[in-house]
Amino acid sequence: MENELCYLSITEAAAALSKKTVSSVELTEACLRRIEAVDGQLHSFITLTADRALAQARQADHELRSGKGRGALHGIPIALKDLYLTKGIRTTCHSAVLENWLPDRDASAAINLAATGTVLLGKLGMHEFAFGGPSTDAPFPAVRNPWNTAHIPGGSSSGSGAALAAGLCYGALGSDTGGSIRTPASHCGVVGIKPTYGRVSRYGVIPLSWSLDHAGPMARSVEDCALLLQAIAGHDPRDPACTDVAVPDFRATLKDGIQGLRIGVPRTGWFDENLGIAPETEAAFNEALKILESLGAAIVELDGTPFSVTRKANQTILVCEAYAYHEKTYQETPLQFGASVRRRMLEGAFLSAVDYITAQRARSVLNEQICANFARVDVFAVPGAPRPPEAFATVDPNEQNLRPSFTNPFNLTGLPALCFPCGFTEGNLPSGLQIVAPPFEEVTCFRVGYAYEQATDWHKRRPVV
Amino acid sequence: MANEIAIEELRAFAQRIGLTLPDDELQRLLPGVIRAQKQAAELRALLSNSDEPAGIFIASKKNQR
Repeated sequence: MENELCYLSITEAAAALSKKTVSSVELTEACLRRIEAVDGQLHSFITLTADRALAQARQADHELRSGKGRGALHGIPIALKDLYLTKGIRTTCHSAVLENWLPDRDASAAINLAATGTVLLGKLGMHEFAFGGPSTDAPFPAVRNPWNTAHIPGGSSSGSGAALAAGLCYGALGSDTGGSIRTPASHCGVVGIKPTYGRVSRYGVIPLSWSLDHAGPMARSVEDCALLLQAIAGHDPRDPACTDVAVPDFRATLKDGIQGLRIGVPRTGWFDENLGIAPETEAAFNEALKILESLGAAIVELDGTPFSVTRKANQTILVCEAYAYHEKTYQETPLQFGASVRRRMLEGAFLSAVDYITAQRARSVLNEQICANFARVDVFAVPGAPRPPEAFATVDPNEQNLRPSFTNPFNLTGLPALCFPCGFTEGNLPSGLQIVAPPFEEVTCFRVGYAYEQATDWHKRRPVV
Repeated sequence: MANEIAIEELRAFAQRIGLTLPDDELQRLLPGVIRAQKQAAELRALLSNSDEPAGIFIASKKNQR
């Protein structure tokens, strides 16, 4: 019963709160008990704010009883990746550099979520400074995958993915610079969206790479993800990249189906890059395409070459901007950074201004080439990750450069990309599918994801923790 | 394309930009730096003279001090 409560979707929990068959305090206590019971194996939380959460839950219950409900997120326990600034609550970026830092302000997305009446359970583990691999030499343990704790959960929003899959919270925020929302969504069997660049404020989100960073939500269903995005999307003058465009109702067309939708698959020249996509992952992806076809969509094969090239530009921009942000710390105390993130970020110190500008020029060219495909198709479909989550014991940080990156192109182009579960390997590890739409058309991603979700039950599977 | 950076050049460059890194750290760093420089160089083949960077400066009241 307790686990059933923890695994309610946000929409189900909101309905139960509305009918008063459950209270926010009960939801919060159920999450806290489950965190106590299982998070010692997973390490998804760095900081738990239990007392504050219970106080917020009591306040939510009082407001709901008084007819002052603020919508579907009111009273719902959520958690934040530990790079969202939270006033008076430790914000570490999973790093010794910020181990005991207490910010004096909140991130805009945290403020917006709080305004809807959510309950903050705490701050979630991640890859150090949202980069590199699992952080094994940071002051906090690396997050483990609830489907098999010997395996990585994907990153960098690893705690967000693991906590959702394990039923420790109902929604979470992550951030995505090269795949950091979508990879853990894929590896943990949950849903995550990297919205269009500029859709969600990055104010108060500790930067990795200003021009590639995206803030976004993660949840256990497509509809829940849409609800969370609704709360955090919109113009914020404090973020110079945040666009002043209208925010639609992300659930308005959720149930409209995908009859006649043209889905582009940029397979040729990309999926077989170097070591290529793992056969099990490609098989799950192909099965997912068949389901989308059975729902009325048309599959159109595209040239994947420009998608493949984006990684070079993405990585060049990323390491230059990341090093620029952290330069002073590297000059003063370089060994405070863990080895994985340190070696990757330092690459940026040895690239030239011309290298960086060349990458930004290539970004213009590749964006144009990739977006030209929207004349022929409505969305792209690509796998969430090139292979199933690796075991910690066999993680090779260099291997990621030998497989196609299915996430990088959409940071470089800023296109909205939704990742949701589309199958499991023989070893019972999740696979994800990404749907990518034109700029500011997140509603189309959600419509496809929802249609697929209704036709399958992957999102209903639960790990045994 | 420029030649691959050697460890001595990496050490000298690191010192010039204010980085004090032990020799074993520089050795571990070298392959990543070579790869990063190589992939940045490869992007040049995509470009024509008319291609501008993705980020451009836009004058606005906010920029006036």
